[in-house]
Amino acid sequence: MSIDIKTVERKGGTPQERVYLVEVFKGMAVTFGHFIRNFLDNSKLYVRHYPEVEPEITARWRGRHRLTRHEDGTVKCVACFMCQTNCPAKCIMIEAGERNDGRTEKLPVRFDIDLLECIYCGFCVEACPMDAIRMDTGIYALTGTERDSFVIGLNELLQSESPFTDEEYKKGSK
Amino acid sequence: MSLLDTVITIIRVLFAAFIPVCFLAVMVWMERRGCGFIQDRSGPNRANVFGFRLMGIVQNLADGLKLAFKEDVIPAHIKYKFYYVLAPVIVFTIAIVSFASVPFADALVLGGKSYLMQGIPTDLGILWFMAIVGFAVYGIILAGWSSHNKYGMLGGLRAAAQVISYEIPLGLALISLLIVYGTVNLTGIVQYQGQLLFGFIPMWGVVLQPLGAIIFIVAAFAEANRVPFDLVEGESEIVAGFHIEYSGMKFAMFFMGEYVAMFTSSAIIVSLYFGGFQIPWLSTAFMVEHTRLVVILLMIALPLLAYLVVGWIRKNNRNRFLPRESDPDVFEATWYIRLLWAAVILLELVLLIFLIIGAGGAAARILAACLQVATFLVKVTFMCFVYVWVRWTLPRFRYDQLQRLGWQTLIPLSLLNIFITGAIVVVLS
Amino acid sequence: MLVDLLYTCFAVFSVLGALGLIIFRHPMNGAMSFLITLISIAGLYALLSAKLLFALQLIVYAGAIMSMIVFIIMFLNIQPEELPAEKTKVIYLVGGAVAVLPVAFFLIKVIKRLPNMPISFASEGFGGVKEVGLIFFTEWLVPFEIVSILLLVALVGAVVLAGKREKNK
Repeated sequence: MSIDIKTVERKGGTPQERVYLVEVFKGMAVTFGHFIRNFLDNSKLYVRHYPEVEPEITARWRGRHRLTRHEDGTVKCVACFMCQTNCPAKCIMIEAGERNDGRTEKLPVRFDIDLLECIYCGFCVEACPMDAIRMDTGIYALTGTERDSFVIGLNELLQSESPFTDEEYKKGSK
Repeated sequence: MSLLDTVITIIRVLFAAFIPVCFLAVMVWMERRGCGFIQDRSGPNRANVFGFRLMGIVQNLADGLKLAFKEDVIPAHIKYKFYYVLAPVIVFTIAIVSFASVPFADALVLGGKSYLMQGIPTDLGILWFMAIVGFAVYGIILAGWSSHNKYGMLGGLRAAAQVISYEIPLGLALISLLIVYGTVNLTGIVQYQGQLLFGFIPMWGVVLQPLGAIIFIVAAFAEANRVPFDLVEGESEIVAGFHIEYSGMKFAMFFMGEYVAMFTSSAIIVSLYFGGFQIPWLSTAFMVEHTRLVVILLMIALPLLAYLVVGWIRKNNRNRFLPRESDPDVFEATWYIRLLWAAVILLELVLLIFLIIGAGGAAARILAACLQVATFLVKVTFMCFVYVWVRWTLPRFRYDQLQRLGWQTLIPLSLLNIFITGAIVVVLS
Repeated sequence: MLVDLLYTCFAVFSVLGALGLIIFRHPMNGAMSFLITLISIAGLYALLSAKLLFALQLIVYAGAIMSMIVFIIMFLNIQPEELPAEKTKVIYLVGGAVAVLPVAFFLIKVIKRLPNMPISFASEGFGGVKEVGLIFFTEWLVPFEIVSILLLVALVGAVVLAGKREKNK
């Protein structure tokens, strides 16, 4: 395997560029064009006025977590601790209990996620063998006045719904 | 000292002390919104007082309050606390004092006496500026040295080397200019620029000394430690340079000092090269003689200008994303428009009274001085905008490039400029 | 009255600054106190209505030369422990003062012997740029040009010295 040598063309050697001032004025003309366009009519700015206009979120966007359910409404999670073991931020805390509905042997009686610790890497979603935890709620703005309010439990995780259908989630976009 | 003397002195001092500080708010605002617009963003436009955002100026108020109420930290490792505290004070004070010799209106003749409209009515003029502005580097050096931090030290070293080497082209460009004007007095220099070249071009310094103007402006940018010569605080290599250990109000002093220095050097550039307070084709004598004409023109121009500004306010103060019944932006805009029209009507009334009572000699001269102050401020604002504009256009120089530009390009060019200017002046006289 | 007060202030500060230059141990303190001396002398020039000298003193000495010296002090970055011990400093100071004392007495005597001259105010425009320039280029043309040649020689010397060191590398 030979190493490819690519000679990069050095720019800035022409007399006009070496004088520098001409190029300075060219650059200033460009920036002034932008300035005056936006100054006279600020509707042309390339910005989203955030609190009024919310960003469009795709199904792949990793937002706050949720726990999925079977068709009959029971928890999919089997409390296998895969997500907790895999979590690099160690923000998941699961307590397993006995399951009596005949689907599996265990179910979580406690499933806490500390959102202040969470780094939204999505490893828990990858690790889950049951597709029980997902990050497709589309919630990206989490605010609170106390630290405790950022620790969400089983109920909250189960109650949140995804704005996306299953097909969209699998495809990754709308 | 008569009453008039006292009043004029108070006006001078107030102008020289407060205008730079007021411009600080304008310039910080201009920098942030201006850079936003240049980069197709909107810049800070959310902070408000009772829903009034003043195009984002309220953000400065919020930032100022934050800095003022921050804890005043002196890091424990600092040995020379006196110099550490002194440094920001030097930078800020020097920046304000150096503005004192810039004239903001033509010499005002009242009661048979001529009053120079400068903060300090001295005929030292540009020498005063040169003498005072050289001290600003002590603030930076002391800050860098007393911070006892390698980045601070490097920033201070760079600042010292840069300011010392760029003072030479600055002074040499000035010499060729002084050969043309034949005076160091800034009022005299600006009066000279009120003449017309070939009868129709305003005899501004930039027309007479185009090369000198470029050298002076480049050197002034370097003296003010502004982009593209701001490697004193190059954040990519030395974090923040000399003010790395400063926080709270002491950092704010450096920040304000930098902006006031920018304002002062804009004022100097405008006075030396862009006609200072002179309105092109309208000399002081002409304005005093034809006051009625000037007043009538003003009375016509003001509402037209206001109409344009109102259109601009309407256009840019509505939320295009969320059409609402009672848009707060539109509510805000209606208030601005009302205030603007009230100000216009007030000014029109004053001008009307002026027209009816008849323009006495003193009143006409005061009117001319007011117009000149306004012209001066408009020019300086534009020059400050050039500072902002350049900052958000050009990348920073490398250190060796900076020194090469200073010593190998600007100094020979300014020497050449002196020879050419001298030869032309000798030939023409 | 104000003039007397200003004169006293400037005179005292210029002497104190010079003393500080000798007495302070750290070079930065010395440089800063010498800066005070230079500024006070500029103030004295201003009191004598020598406007150009005032400006030049500030531009050249206080502004340029001192910032160069401070730059070098910063460049070397001397720590307090690296400074020499200076055990004989007190002896030198006292000895120097004793040696200078007779000269000072002599000077005071000479000044007291001087005949009283009537004090008159400087005329309009005294010490301005134009007046000083005219004197330089009419009455003192030859010394002025000789000094400029001297400066040129110093400049060339500096360039030669700087160039030599580069060759040795």
